[in-house]
Amino acid sequence: MNVRLLVAATMVLALAACGPAPIDPYRQVGPNPYLPDIHQYLLPPMKVAKIVGWGDKTPTVAPGLQIKAMAKDLHDPRSIYVLPNGDILVVEADGPPAPVHRPKELVMNLLEKKAHSAVKGGNRILLLRDADGDGVPELQTVLIDHLNHPFGVVLVGSDLYVANTDAVVRFPYFPGEIQIREPGVKLTDLPGGPIDHHWTKSLTASPDGTKLYAGVGSNSNITENGIGAELGRAAIWEIDRATGAHREFATGLRNPNGLTFEPTTHQLWTVVNERDELGPDLVPDYMTSVKDGGFYGWPYSYYGQHLDPRVKPQRPDLVAKAIAPDYALSSHVAPLGLVFYTGSNLPPQYRGGAFVGEHGSWDRTQLNGYKVVYVPFANGRPSGSAQDVVTGFVGSDGAAHGRPVGVAMDSRGGLLIADDAGNVVWRVTAAGS
Amino acid sequence: MSIYASQAAARLRRHPVHTLLAPIPFVCFLGTLFTDVVYWRTADMQWANFSVWMLVAGLVVSVLVVLAGLVDFLADPGLRAQRAAWVHGAGDAVALVLAILNAFIHSRDAYTSVVPWGLFLSAVVVVILVAVGRNDRGLVYRAGSGPTAEDRP
Repeated sequence: MNVRLLVAATMVLALAACGPAPIDPYRQVGPNPYLPDIHQYLLPPMKVAKIVGWGDKTPTVAPGLQIKAMAKDLHDPRSIYVLPNGDILVVEADGPPAPVHRPKELVMNLLEKKAHSAVKGGNRILLLRDADGDGVPELQTVLIDHLNHPFGVVLVGSDLYVANTDAVVRFPYFPGEIQIREPGVKLTDLPGGPIDHHWTKSLTASPDGTKLYAGVGSNSNITENGIGAELGRAAIWEIDRATGAHREFATGLRNPNGLTFEPTTHQLWTVVNERDELGPDLVPDYMTSVKDGGFYGWPYSYYGQHLDPRVKPQRPDLVAKAIAPDYALSSHVAPLGLVFYTGSNLPPQYRGGAFVGEHGSWDRTQLNGYKVVYVPFANGRPSGSAQDVVTGFVGSDGAAHGRPVGVAMDSRGGLLIADDAGNVVWRVTAAGS
Repeated sequence: MSIYASQAAARLRRHPVHTLLAPIPFVCFLGTLFTDVVYWRTADMQWANFSVWMLVAGLVVSVLVVLAGLVDFLADPGLRAQRAAWVHGAGDAVALVLAILNAFIHSRDAYTSVVPWGLFLSAVVVVILVAVGRNDRGLVYRAGSGPTAEDRP
């Protein structure tokens, strides 16, 4: 009798777990996304594509483009930065071990494991040199080793800044250098462990080079680790390069990555991973310009004043001033990379706008993301729908060959993509170039 | 009141496993209700964490309690003839299903992992278990160090 009841209960739970049917993601791409009603699950969908690697396959590119692996068999490449002399830095990193504070986290940690490459992260920065521009590096070295879960990197003058998960560290860099032996000097501590839920710290510098901007993701999905764990988090920090002093430049950004200044307006932009477990189509991830002192909702609300019932106590004073982001990318796509294309190698339709690396969903029965898209811009603002540029990361059998993360433009206008599950750096150029 | 004293089939040394373990889930589920109430009043996540660990611990031990109870029930035709034994099994089964449901609710993030449905289910589970316990006064195990028929009022 008990067994039958258990089976029946399990079936009811399985049904409840399905939730509402997912909508067409393109209804949530653009400045005014459709926002359905909240659906709180009994058992949220946990579906990530199993990682199988590429073999001899490559991703699929839009017409007029070609793609080639620039480096293979890497160790968790997450972000890419191109130096003035054309050398390409590849940051290899894995996340810090996640603590178990609730039984749920045992399951979530297993899911995380499945979603990522079995290769251990290098936690270092590689240098690739492709002087003749044929997409095949003549030289590959380890520029800086033994970093602490690094992600962001930016060069200002002869100072190379690396955003470890717990600090911004400065290294001396001289043009042409292929290995830095000097120890780094800490500029500023960043919120790190012991929880460190969103650990990737994106980094960029102001156009005049006086300030650094670091993305510091939230320490939870939606404050389930307590609001005290969120001190200084879900924010973009502005760090004074001379003194290391910092302030919160903008807040309420759940997990901001891909910090980049738009080249024509010199405004700071970011891509943000929004909250999970409110349904397959909530809350859409987004890209947005970032206003000084702006509050973007997390955790209390999303897209302006849409309240999240999971947050207590609420803060009506903050919600009242919450800014709706500029451009939705649709739900759970997990954008982690952003680059404005200022080159001239790619066909004209890809110039002036932004490429976004979408790592891909876990909180949805139909996968979303797992691709690189292009968002056209005009006058420094998004103008038109995002287009798929690089796809095929997930095969027709539902298994993933790789997952895109950081994106960058190389000195010859090639689009570079870090693939942390396939352990590849891809290079996209105009077909026949 | 007539008392039926069963010779438990599932024993650890001489102790009936079912009665040996049954208090553990009850205490866990009662604790869950207590910390749920404190979370509801304080919104301090640590209390909700206590709740979900106790709830899951209660469920894990419940598996053993149910197995031992089923063995006893199937092995003793005299016990199966007791209406109170059927009520006991059905009541516990309902409580267990609701507690499983409650574990899923408690696995949500932050406030709605407890308020309102987690707190409600925690209370219902405790009420059912108390009611089943009152019904159980007609059932005891013979042998071992547990209470005997003579000990009961």
